[in-house]
Amino acid sequence: MGGLKILRCGVFSVVKHDYLPRAVAAHSRFELVVVADDADQPDWVHERNQLFADEFNVPYVKNVAKAIAEYDLDLVAVSSQAERHCDLSVRAADEGLHVIADKPMSTCLSECDRLVDAVRRNDIKFLLWNRNYLPSVIQAKEAIDSGAIGGLQAIHVDFYFSKDAGPPKGTRQGNDPPIDWLKRQIEAHTDGSDGGVGIEPLGELQIEGIYPLGYIHLLTGENVHRVFARTASHFHQANVDNNIDDLASVSLEIGKGIVGSLCIGRIGAASHPDIGEIKIHAIGSKGGLVITEARPEVSIYYRDQPPSEFKNERIANENDFLLMDDFARSIDTDTEPILNAQNGRDIAATVFASLESCKIGVPVEVIY
Amino acid sequence: MIRLALISSSETAKIYSGLSTRLHRATWTVFAPLDSSDLSQALGSSAKVTSTDDLFSQETAAFDAVVIDADSATAESVAKTVVDLGKPVLVGAISQWVATIGEANALLMPAHPWRFIPSIQAVKRSVDDGKLGVPGLLRIHRWHPSSPGKAPISERLMPDVDLACWLFGDTPESVWSLQSAANEDYLQFHLGFTNGGMAIIDLSASLPSGGDYYSLTMIGGTGAAYADDHHNMNLLYSGGQPNAIRTNQGHIELVQQLQEFVDVIDGKREQSISLADTFRAVQVVEQVLESANSCEVVKREESK
Repeated sequence: MGGLKILRCGVFSVVKHDYLPRAVAAHSRFELVVVADDADQPDWVHERNQLFADEFNVPYVKNVAKAIAEYDLDLVAVSSQAERHCDLSVRAADEGLHVIADKPMSTCLSECDRLVDAVRRNDIKFLLWNRNYLPSVIQAKEAIDSGAIGGLQAIHVDFYFSKDAGPPKGTRQGNDPPIDWLKRQIEAHTDGSDGGVGIEPLGELQIEGIYPLGYIHLLTGENVHRVFARTASHFHQANVDNNIDDLASVSLEIGKGIVGSLCIGRIGAASHPDIGEIKIHAIGSKGGLVITEARPEVSIYYRDQPPSEFKNERIANENDFLLMDDFARSIDTDTEPILNAQNGRDIAATVFASLESCKIGVPVEVIY
Repeated sequence: MIRLALISSSETAKIYSGLSTRLHRATWTVFAPLDSSDLSQALGSSAKVTSTDDLFSQETAAFDAVVIDADSATAESVAKTVVDLGKPVLVGAISQWVATIGEANALLMPAHPWRFIPSIQAVKRSVDDGKLGVPGLLRIHRWHPSSPGKAPISERLMPDVDLACWLFGDTPESVWSLQSAANEDYLQFHLGFTNGGMAIIDLSASLPSGGDYYSLTMIGGTGAAYADDHHNMNLLYSGGQPNAIRTNQGHIELVQQLQEFVDVIDGKREQSISLADTFRAVQVVEQVLESANSCEVVKREESK
């Protein structure tokens, strides 16, 4: 490694997106050394943590402080329930550890602010997991930065995620109780249709909004100032029962006079042959840009193909590797990673403003 | 055989001329150009060419119905004359003046050619057949090249406002518009329908000269439809990076619209587009512009 230190990573809970600690483990600059969580977590959390620890042949410690004290960690990867992301991250940051955290950043803005303070106070690096290194997103960035469409004036992201989420809307019978959010998420883990794992129910705007808003942040380099939004519980009974969105559209007023929009939804597996229609549209002073986020891809069709198998597969996708590369560089050179704590907090503020706009029916300023 | 008179620019007449063999039970018999070009052959050798004034004063026996493809002001004055003659008329560019049309004593069919575009027809069928479930979100991007002779913004907004109302089968209860300070030819608007339905549409007329771009996505409760120029591009290699070229779909929408006009005159089918549709779209366009000017959400009267 040319003398570069291998960075020791603790996994602070791994209850949903194990792709995050897997990406850490797959990069040669990092090694997983321990999985840790709080002892008072429920059994299902400990079971998942133990399973992951066993697979990677590292210990599972039911005491976060003990893991920090005994395993000489450089960083932690946080993939807990959504409402615990910030707290676990702050506890690591306060011990001088760098942090990679899963999305969403938090379920409330004050927690995001607490994390931003902790990152700054402890002078550590924080990376919020994102998709900004997908090949098409890189291409969009290069095209815009090269001036190919002139000065950016408008940007739009469509992020339709074609997964189911339990029973369809309208299927609950009169005597059935409303779907319990956490119970449904726990059960859904087996088929991968869980999303927003945690006690607090989360809509798609909160769960996935980080990705398209991350693109907009990357491509504009600006914050969103004001939003106007509409949301609906259009597809899934769990979302209806818990009064959270699974479909949303947001108009965005962005810095430097750029306007934009975001459409997002968990639109059901039947609504797209692959993972979903995800596109970026940009208008500049000299032209326009239309990007399909899934490209490049390869199409594979065959007899008896399982319906759940995507017929178009993404290829040359090095997003996870490049994120880890980016984070290693950030630590090595004391520079900021591609989506840091402040960026993540500002995106969360945009999401919360959108939810507020939907509630009151008028545009809402984003709080900075 | 229904004898049609056409009132349009000479360039437009060439397009309509190319459709003549595809029309059933109708033929062009008279052409009244709105400019001074020599168009003696524009609609075929059998069609008379005359002025608009002469059409209505001397040639009324030469046609059974009139097709008007003109700007809004011309369309208004000419359409009212045709209606007074008691002859059926297909007329586009209907704007605020739709409200001044009273009870017509002849068929007045508003032209909404955008509804007859093959991809839009397919999307509408999938909605009507229930394949997509309850409409939830309509997303449209419509980008035109910059042009000094572009139509007024109210006319450019009409197609997508009408499509949104048509696909949702409703009038929006709220409208929010967003303009670009850097681009006066850009407008984004957000329509809210009852039961959570939403449409978000952006319209630009600032692309460099050349091709335009259109994309329509309809997300329903049980399915989705994607009508996107991006999906219909082929590649042309002529050095350097390949160029994307869109597959030509001709003017099928005009053929379909004309045939419906003829069929309605013949009594063979019901008129699918009413003046009420046009009136609704005109009103929503006004709300879009009102929101853009006031920077306020505009709510439908009964939903306030």
